[in-house]
Amino acid sequence: MVRLPYLTALTTLFSYGLLFAFGQMRDFFRKLIDWSKSKGKDLKGYAPICLGLEDFYTRRLYLRIQDCFSRPIASAPDAWIDVVERYSNDHNKTLHRTSNTTKCLNLGSYNYLGFAAADEYCTPLVIESLKKYSASTCSVRVDGGTTNLHSELEELVARFVGKPAAILFGMGYVTNSAIIPALVGKGGLIISDSLNHNSIVNGARGSGASVRVFQHNSPSHLEEVLREQIAEGQPRTHRPWKKIIVIVEGIYSMEGELCNLPEIIAVCKKYKAYTYLDEAHSIGAVGKSGRGVCELLGVDTADVDIMMGTFTKSFGSCGGYIAASKEIIQYLRYTCPAHLYATSMSPPAVQQVISAIKVILGEDGSNRGAQKLASIRENSNFFRSELQKMGFEVLGDNDSPVMPIMLYNPAKIPAFSRECLRRNVAVVTVAFPATPLLLARARICISASHTREDLMKGLDVISKVGDLVGIKYFPAEPPKHVEQDKKTL
Amino acid sequence: MAKLYVEAVPPADLNKNTEWFMYPGVWTTYILILFFSWLLVLSVFGCNPGTAWTVVNLVHFAITYHFFHWKKGTPFSDDQGIYNNLTWWEQIDNGKQLTRNRKFLTVVPVVLYLIASHTTDYRHPMLSLNTVAVIVLVVAKWPNMHKVRIFGINAGNRVAVHGY
Repeated sequence: MVRLPYLTALTTLFSYGLLFAFGQMRDFFRKLIDWSKSKGKDLKGYAPICLGLEDFYTRRLYLRIQDCFSRPIASAPDAWIDVVERYSNDHNKTLHRTSNTTKCLNLGSYNYLGFAAADEYCTPLVIESLKKYSASTCSVRVDGGTTNLHSELEELVARFVGKPAAILFGMGYVTNSAIIPALVGKGGLIISDSLNHNSIVNGARGSGASVRVFQHNSPSHLEEVLREQIAEGQPRTHRPWKKIIVIVEGIYSMEGELCNLPEIIAVCKKYKAYTYLDEAHSIGAVGKSGRGVCELLGVDTADVDIMMGTFTKSFGSCGGYIAASKEIIQYLRYTCPAHLYATSMSPPAVQQVISAIKVILGEDGSNRGAQKLASIRENSNFFRSELQKMGFEVLGDNDSPVMPIMLYNPAKIPAFSRECLRRNVAVVTVAFPATPLLLARARICISASHTREDLMKGLDVISKVGDLVGIKYFPAEPPKHVEQDKKTL
Repeated sequence: MAKLYVEAVPPADLNKNTEWFMYPGVWTTYILILFFSWLLVLSVFGCNPGTAWTVVNLVHFAITYHFFHWKKGTPFSDDQGIYNNLTWWEQIDNGKQLTRNRKFLTVVPVVLYLIASHTTDYRHPMLSLNTVAVIVLVVAKWPNMHKVRIFGINAGNRVAVHGY
């Protein structure tokens, strides 16, 4: 739910209309010029790769502001990061790298617990495992790709998350898009939240099951959809569904909101549907001991049937896992194609996750894990409350380390991004199609390795740029000492 | 001026080509664009108001016919072409007929026609052009015309959609 001034809604619609009109005019002239030049010399009989309209958005809108996306970096994504400078000679159609880098404050990486850069406990162990096991297992899990590191990590993940068993995959996106087809097929029903990640959407499309969407985070609409679908049954035959899975995420990465988990689980139990929780952004980052959104909201892990997560965000590695009951994991081991045919996780990456989890649990003999968890919670709450006091529209719940700042107008996306880069702050701006058309935003990710000075500098720069770009849509709270001065006068 | 705020709940419409139409402020923007383009035509050509409204009506006819009822598919490739045979009008509201948005979009050409013919005093060449415009637009928006291609015009290529 976002609140925007009415005038902003009108101007955003008008801006997109203008961009669309200009794009169509340029396409029209391009067609005229190309028609007179050469008429299909080598394309005789072949269908065109893109139908004329399909890449309109990419060509006419995205390429104009291409320098705000895909910026190459030249260092580890710590609290400060080296961003490579690029230049363009033809208005952003092609970009060329230079060999200069700028050191910027990193507000864009998913480095929630600060494991992205060299860590005093994890990095020596990772280097040791690199020397012992080498960079790749060069094999599939079922052939020769299961080292004792993999088995150790599977047990550790299961213990950390609170489920009987777990299974690992080499890539987080693939975890969703290859598991969902293995769990449900034709004749089943998938009910997914309307703002679910693209990996879940792809997995659902690839499974062959029917897909229905319920309004974001609303248990009442979920109940309505469940009742309607259970009563109607499968399309055309009206037989009962073979199984029903409800898929939700722990923290939604574009909104920073927590899932309404207790009510959704209650609704699913009432109608006997299975639940699948994607904790990509919440595992390791929320909860008193970092065990994710179930711990934060007080939900028993036995009530969620399948818990999925990735190691990219809080553990500084790559890959994903599924944690569920022993029977489900055993079934997945012999049906899931990502386990049977895909290369297993790289051993140093596995070691990094093992060490990171040990630090979080405190099993490395220090209390750095607890410090990191407290630090990220304090940093996120401080940053969010300061931004809201300045008058920005910030989404997301308390305790969530992801905070999107709403921009809305398409012109403010490159303005915000470039002005922040000029002042040495690297932010990530997100536009269509990752977000709805009108709700473009800049997404800030807070890390446990940001110090208080880093956050103050970030706030200072964002405030100045916000004034310049005009995104302080809400009235700012006046600072307290000004009122006291007025009273003494 | 006190800022009026509206709440925008993201609608559960999966088609990103049409879901922007469900946000607050869309109808007002549409009407304001028509009004300001009338002012623009008046100031550029310096004609009388009736001719300006006729020009606005005819340009509105050309643009909305082209984009709502001729162009098919979506301007991005993320949805893998499942809407490639549907025009924008057939895509909105997931193909449901007679929703509030569709009724609004059907009324706008009729209101434009009434304004244009009233301000030109129903004189001959403008009246017939305006009438043709409004008849084509309203017929194209009838519920019975959903997915109908008269004489196979604009039926497009029969590309096999790899679906289930």
